[in-house]
Amino acid sequence: MGRVAPSRMHRRHYIHAYLFIAPVIVLFGLFRVWPSLQTLYYSFFKVELLKGRLTFLGLQNFAGLVHDEIFRAATLHTLTYAAAIVPIAAALGMILAVLFNEEFPLKELFKAIYFAPMVTSTVAAAVVWWWLYNPQYGLFNVILKLMHLPGQPWLLSSRMALPSVIIFSIWKTLGYNLVIYLAGLQAIPHEYYEAATLDGAGSLQRFLRITLPLLAPTTTFVFIYNSIFAFQVFDQVYVLTGGGPARATNVVVLELYNQAFQRYQFGYASAEAMVLFLFILGVTMLQYVYSRRFEVAY
Amino acid sequence: MKWRPVVWFLVTALALTASIVSAQPRRTITLWYPAGDIAAGPVSPFTDPNLFAPFEATNNVKIEMVGVDYDTMVQKIFAAAAGRNIADILFIDTSWLPGFLKEDLLQQMDSAKARKWLADVVPDVVDLSDYGSRTMWGYPQMGYDIYGLTWNKAQFKEVGLDPERPPATWDELRDYGKKLAKRDAQGNLVRVGLAIRHVGNPQGTVHKFTWALWGAGADIIDNPNLLHGGKPAFNNAGGLAALKLYLDMLNVDKTTSLSFPDPRAALLQGIASMQISETVSIRARQPKEAPNMPWGTGWGMAPPPVRKTGDRPGVLLGGWLFAVPKSAKNSELAWKSMDWLNSEINDYTIARRFDLTPRYKANWAKDPFRSDSYDQALLKIARYGRRLPINLGLNGVLDSLGFAIQKALHGEATPEQALAEAERLAQKAIDEAAK
Repeated sequence: MGRVAPSRMHRRHYIHAYLFIAPVIVLFGLFRVWPSLQTLYYSFFKVELLKGRLTFLGLQNFAGLVHDEIFRAATLHTLTYAAAIVPIAAALGMILAVLFNEEFPLKELFKAIYFAPMVTSTVAAAVVWWWLYNPQYGLFNVILKLMHLPGQPWLLSSRMALPSVIIFSIWKTLGYNLVIYLAGLQAIPHEYYEAATLDGAGSLQRFLRITLPLLAPTTTFVFIYNSIFAFQVFDQVYVLTGGGPARATNVVVLELYNQAFQRYQFGYASAEAMVLFLFILGVTMLQYVYSRRFEVAY
Repeated sequence: MKWRPVVWFLVTALALTASIVSAQPRRTITLWYPAGDIAAGPVSPFTDPNLFAPFEATNNVKIEMVGVDYDTMVQKIFAAAAGRNIADILFIDTSWLPGFLKEDLLQQMDSAKARKWLADVVPDVVDLSDYGSRTMWGYPQMGYDIYGLTWNKAQFKEVGLDPERPPATWDELRDYGKKLAKRDAQGNLVRVGLAIRHVGNPQGTVHKFTWALWGAGADIIDNPNLLHGGKPAFNNAGGLAALKLYLDMLNVDKTTSLSFPDPRAALLQGIASMQISETVSIRARQPKEAPNMPWGTGWGMAPPPVRKTGDRPGVLLGGWLFAVPKSAKNSELAWKSMDWLNSEINDYTIARRFDLTPRYKANWAKDPFRSDSYDQALLKIARYGRRLPINLGLNGVLDSLGFAIQKALHGEATPEQALAEAERLAQKAIDEAAK
């Protein structure tokens, strides 16, 4: 029996590997890459799907976006939403993780309670929160009344609607951040804390000098992950406010959804999607490059 | 004998043919209708699985009725049409029609049938059916979907108002509002005089504002029967007066509030004494949501108040349409089933059975419709009914105006600024749709 040449073995090894990942690659290509490429293609056309007609517009859709005040406002709302939810949810997640890193009774139960929103359907949770925010019967106003504070209009006010959506989203994201930070905390060698304690460092100093810097890669991941989802916010806005009142909570994905499915402007909606894609790509790259400075190795 | 095999052959062939014919499977055609709250109560005959039974029996067909969520129905119809896999019959909101016409999605009804229909039905139904020069895109539903003022009679009595006499002018409306609004010990409004729509889908906001807009002599688009082109007609003295009426009740009289839910829900919950929107919804929801407030003694309905005595009210006559999409696989059968469903006799039997109003003139002359107090009250309001414009840019126009109303009510812009911005955006939508 002759020996199989190493290069042939190598090749076969690769073929096996590719065969194993092929189903995922095919599905990913079919349902992610192909639609994305089609969106890019459509963004240069006026698309009339039912008539099967595409009219080439060049960059007209993109030029239209520059002058579109509704899209600009939607972008601003999306940025406000992301700027609020990402740091707040990350900070709260980190604080909770530090607390949960200690031992106390019913810790696992509380951890599950905090994580529950993450595994709850956004739509179902938003419907419940819609009732919590109800000015007449909602729990939040009942609590305010018990504290002798005036009831708030919450989602019914153009000024309070976006903050109300942000509060909901923070609640929804917190559990995930908590778990990620907890994993990050548990990876920090305990010797560092022991050495710092021997050197006389207090708990705040240990947190600021050890925990915070060594959690930087985790923080980067949490920021990137939360940013991507924040820029794509849709479900909760759709359910809680529908983009109102007075477009106060209209965000980019909701706007492109309306352009596509309310006004049937698929080309224009595709251009909006491409702008959002480039934006997310840019922010992610920026965060990634910047975060490499903080990489740590134990 | 030589003829025996021939006879056997013929008998066998006949038996085989008969069995094949009799075993031919029934064709199935589909009908999509809105499900959920929108179809709650007696307004939907589609809840009856045997609705089409006589037609199915005589035509060897099965009509499958599929309830589709109202909020996403437009998107589903559109996606299905794009995928060439759409229902044979669509029961669609007439406010979606311009968008569908823009996309060339629907079949036009045969002109001879349209002529006959328009000659046989009452004038309000003619308005709903005729899209210019006797063009029809489908049969409008049975049962008026008409907007009107509805009020809580017990609350009228409670504050010393005649429960049988609703406000007839804007001044009266404000005056009634002041009497009906109720506050708690801290001065917080716990009951509004008139509940207004100020959040949610902007188009819904416009629908519930049309009575004031039309009542003040303004309009949505200058020519409501024009498919292409035209101008927004709300940024004028009338439009401004309508918006200011809302703002006066909100900020001057403080008899309405932005902290109250949907007007219909507010009326049924007893936290609003009056509201102006779909009367049919109150009729459908009241038995379940406000059982102590029955029609006639508990709540009443009338045309909405006018700006000044002598003005003509304007109310939104909405409704749904049985339409057949261009890409339907069984167009002929679809139209045949719709002709059957919308025949004079079925108009009577179905309307009677489901507590709806009929469409044929002949049926209005029969009992129970000619003597039923609710039907007659509806008929009185329907006299002032107006349909939404059919402009292909309507979606954009309604969105712009709806957001303008919301902006003004929420203090994000002055009424003048809000209407001017809406006019600009609406014109853009009209022009783009006309291209």
